[in-house]
Amino acid sequence: MLSWLHPLPKLVVALAFLLASILVFDLVFQIALSLGIVLVLIVFERVPAWKVLLLCVPFALFGFGFLTTSLLFRQEAGAALDNTGQSLWHALPFSAGLTLFFRAIAGGLVSMAFALTTDPGQLVRALMACRVLPPRFAYALFSALELVPDLAGAANEIRLARAMRTGRPPRRVPGPVEIGALVVPLLAFAVRRAGRAAIAMEARGLAAGGARTIINLPRLSWRDGAFVGMAGLVLAMLVAGARMGWSLPSIAGAA
Amino acid sequence: MTVALPQPDAAPVPMREPSPALAFDDFAARYPFARSPAVGPVGFTMRAGERVLLLGPSGSGKSTLLLALTGLVPQAVPAETTGAVRLFGASVAGCRPSDWAGRVGQFFQDADQTLCGMRVEDEIAFALENLAWLEPQIHAAVKRALAAVGLPETIRRRRTATLSGGEKQLVALAATIAVEPVLLVADEPTASLSPRAAHRFRALLANWSAERAALVVDHRLDGLVDVVERVVVLGDDGLVLADGPPHVVFRRHHATLDARGIWTPLAADLDRELAAVGLAADTMPLTVAAALDELDALDLRGRDRARARRALASFVARHAPSSAHAAGDAPPVVRLEAAACAPFLGPTVVSDIELQIRAGEVVGILGANGAGKSTLGFALAGLLRLKAGRRVGAMGAVSFQNPEAQFSAGSVAAEIEAALASAGDAEARASRTARILRDWDLERLAARHPFELSQGEKRRLALACLAADERARLVVLDEPLAGLDRRGAAMVEAAVAGYVRAGRAVAIVTHDMDFALRLCPRCLVLGQGRVLADGSSATLMRDRPLLQRAGLEPPQIAPALDWLERHA
Repeated sequence: MLSWLHPLPKLVVALAFLLASILVFDLVFQIALSLGIVLVLIVFERVPAWKVLLLCVPFALFGFGFLTTSLLFRQEAGAALDNTGQSLWHALPFSAGLTLFFRAIAGGLVSMAFALTTDPGQLVRALMACRVLPPRFAYALFSALELVPDLAGAANEIRLARAMRTGRPPRRVPGPVEIGALVVPLLAFAVRRAGRAAIAMEARGLAAGGARTIINLPRLSWRDGAFVGMAGLVLAMLVAGARMGWSLPSIAGAA
Repeated sequence: MTVALPQPDAAPVPMREPSPALAFDDFAARYPFARSPAVGPVGFTMRAGERVLLLGPSGSGKSTLLLALTGLVPQAVPAETTGAVRLFGASVAGCRPSDWAGRVGQFFQDADQTLCGMRVEDEIAFALENLAWLEPQIHAAVKRALAAVGLPETIRRRRTATLSGGEKQLVALAATIAVEPVLLVADEPTASLSPRAAHRFRALLANWSAERAALVVDHRLDGLVDVVERVVVLGDDGLVLADGPPHVVFRRHHATLDARGIWTPLAADLDRELAAVGLAADTMPLTVAAALDELDALDLRGRDRARARRALASFVARHAPSSAHAAGDAPPVVRLEAAACAPFLGPTVVSDIELQIRAGEVVGILGANGAGKSTLGFALAGLLRLKAGRRVGAMGAVSFQNPEAQFSAGSVAAEIEAALASAGDAEARASRTARILRDWDLERLAARHPFELSQGEKRRLALACLAADERARLVVLDEPLAGLDRRGAAMVEAAVAGYVRAGRAVAIVTHDMDFALRLCPRCLVLGQGRVLADGSSATLMRDRPLLQRAGLEPPQIAPALDWLERHA
């Protein structure tokens, strides 16, 4: 469903959700946002649940840092919440940490939903067509986006070469030490790859200025309007719910 | 849809260019921190409509010369240059490399250097978009280019990063010819292509319009030399060693080229054999089939016919020796049972494999581009987990198709030492490193960083590292000849002979049917997602229906084998 949409309205909606997840410091809002995106990805986009969970791992680790910090500095976090007027969950332990944890997850899921349902080529084309990006920058961005999946292939080749050298088959999942040892070679690969892409693009006529055709441009349709409208409505409802304190103020008051 | 950017009224019309199309005037280039020039000083010109083959040993500067042609050296790749390069009468120094994109199609040695990492359709259309062709014309050109290189329409939406090495090379070729360049520059265009795809490239070159020029660097000469009008040979020092029509260069300079480790076509070797018995044609034929046709036209009888047979037998003995050295009852090194293999993060490409390789056996793995040869090679070595079935045997070693993936040290010598890490004390390691550097002709490059080397030198280094590690009982060589000159190929053959003597098993993934016939008594032919045939190379490589089914072509030496049979 999201994959059919024009990348630019989708980008605008993604940025709006991302902004809301940063500004609305409310646990229910963050959880609702996260669950909503997971639902869309799994039910409508048919992304396997394991893949969504796996992709959430880095964001969860990031959020976990907030959670542990909040646990270690509970009093300071509580004071910070008082100052921002967010007293709803103040009575609960780790409330600030939990909100921050789910904010990291929600932000990650918004980005993930956009990345999983958008063709980088289409995005770059749309940005060039709207004159948001000049072709040179657009294709540099495109190369960077395309580099990410290629890094997995490069990492695999390096792992195989190392396994061959040690005489032991590569592990199914690389351990932390092995991942650490891959960083520098992968960085070198990325630099080499960027240099080669630059030469390839130059040799094939990519230059600043001048006329340029863009083929296979995505077209705007009624679907994009409907999507922006619905997404806006959902976001407005979630923000309103967070501002009105959902139905929990009485529970908080009782506590 | 075309974005509302300024558009030309029509697609660019190819212009009739005044000659020369290309001129190198005492051009030389030296890379930063290098002691000697990478190439030159070189002086040669190319007329419009001329098709030139540029030859030279690995590291002689061919690729540098091609990069300098549109100013990528020194504008994008830093280098100190002297002399001048002129294209269509204009100095390259005064233009940006991108200015030539409409008239010069550049195919680089490394397909990743030609491709920008997009989907196939976008890759082919990229230069046309930059040249502001109209959208319908771009779609038509993409379709034509795909058909010209024999790629199916279904490949359009695939990302180039997910393609096999050979498929990438085909896409890069399609992207290069889509602009209908006035000058086609191709650096090793057939290095990773299946025989049929390579044949298609040669046909493309043969039908290249008379107004358009082509400059091709390639090591697979058979089938190519008869579609070029001129051969320019660079020596080790980067200077022009020979320049002339192919039949003159290969007859007159055959011995020099051999001595310098530069490839010559099989027909040149046959010509020499026939000359030795006084039966050479007045003008050297450029293919084995043409040479044999000329021989047949002589209608030889009696002693003359015996002489011809002797010459042919000697020729065949050197290039396709009898396959008597199969391993017999040697112990198995690796066995695959009901195996299914898939590349990393990809779908299964070969399945139902029942295969056993014995100690001392050399097995060729043949198939069209994308048939799963490399995947099977990695699975045999135990580096790739099977999707189904079972593998029995110790882990093997692989020389990767992309040699860069194997490098991790800061110098050529350190790379080899790292491969020897478990081999005795420091003194023994140093002595073995020195020997391997010498065996693989890498001594003068010992202090260089592996990534600074030419493609052929990188290949030699990767193979040298493999030779340094003597633990693996199975050695898999993935396209070992890609980018190698004749001297390098001889080193590979010597290394394989060494592996066999040491009782190790060898699997060779290759598109070079003559190389496979020469080295591998046994071959596997892959196609249609399975092993189509497993048997004697001499038999399989003359089974035309099988080769047809697998998308392969018979080896270039096949007409000589047929002739000998006919005249037995």
